Amino acid sequence: MSTSTVGIVLVSHSAELAAGAAYLAAQVSGGTVTIIAAGGTDEGDLGTSAAKVADGLLRADQGAGVVVLPDLGSAVLTVKAVLEDHIGKGTVLLADAPFVEGAVAATVTAAAGGDVKAVAAAAEEARHVRKL
Amino acid sequence: MSASYEQRITLAGDLHARPAGALAVAAGRFAAVISVSAGDHTADAKSVLGVMGLGATSGQHLTVKASGTDAREAVAALIAILSEATKVGG
Repeated sequence: MSTSTVGIVLVSHSAELAAGAAYLAAQVSGGTVTIIAAGGTDEGDLGTSAAKVADGLLRADQGAGVVVLPDLGSAVLTVKAVLEDHIGKGTVLLADAPFVEGAVAATVTAAAGGDVKAVAAAAEEARHVRKL
Repeated sequence: MSASYEQRITLAGDLHARPAGALAVAAGRFAAVISVSAGDHTADAKSVLGVMGLGATSGQHLTVKASGTDAREAVAALIAILSEATKVGG
């Protein structure tokens, strides 16, 4: 059993949204998981940054792989472009999940010691959990 | 050797996000299948969103059920978390 936990990268158009979701996920999961917020452009505007995502993947990887959650449309394109250059640097899974709920569910599963597939699955199952 | 255990607890506080997270993190470390029930609603204890979705509040009775090789330890651990974590809220 691996001693390291899966890392999480949150890719949002908004730096504040990525940072806030990372803070929430850390608080709910007990603070043991590496969560990197990759939000906004390099200039600090609304948008996504390939450089921030690439840096986030490297910083999040503690040896057990990384799960990436994008928020909207072009965040997915940015992540996919970065992943094309990331081949061979450790397992990275892109999760198709609601941003906030997925971030919380993924981080809790990572904190419990889940592997990269279990963490991505937890994020994607968030789509089916009703709030009301 | 597989076995089933269950235990009830009366919540001392609301089951907010952080206690729900602590519960799901602990549950995820056990091999047993574990559920948490409040009234008519039952959630997978390993699903933080499911546990939060119970909307369990102070004074409510919760039942933790587990089946599997480490079911006894799982129920004991989760009951301990529920009794501690709901005191501080969050």
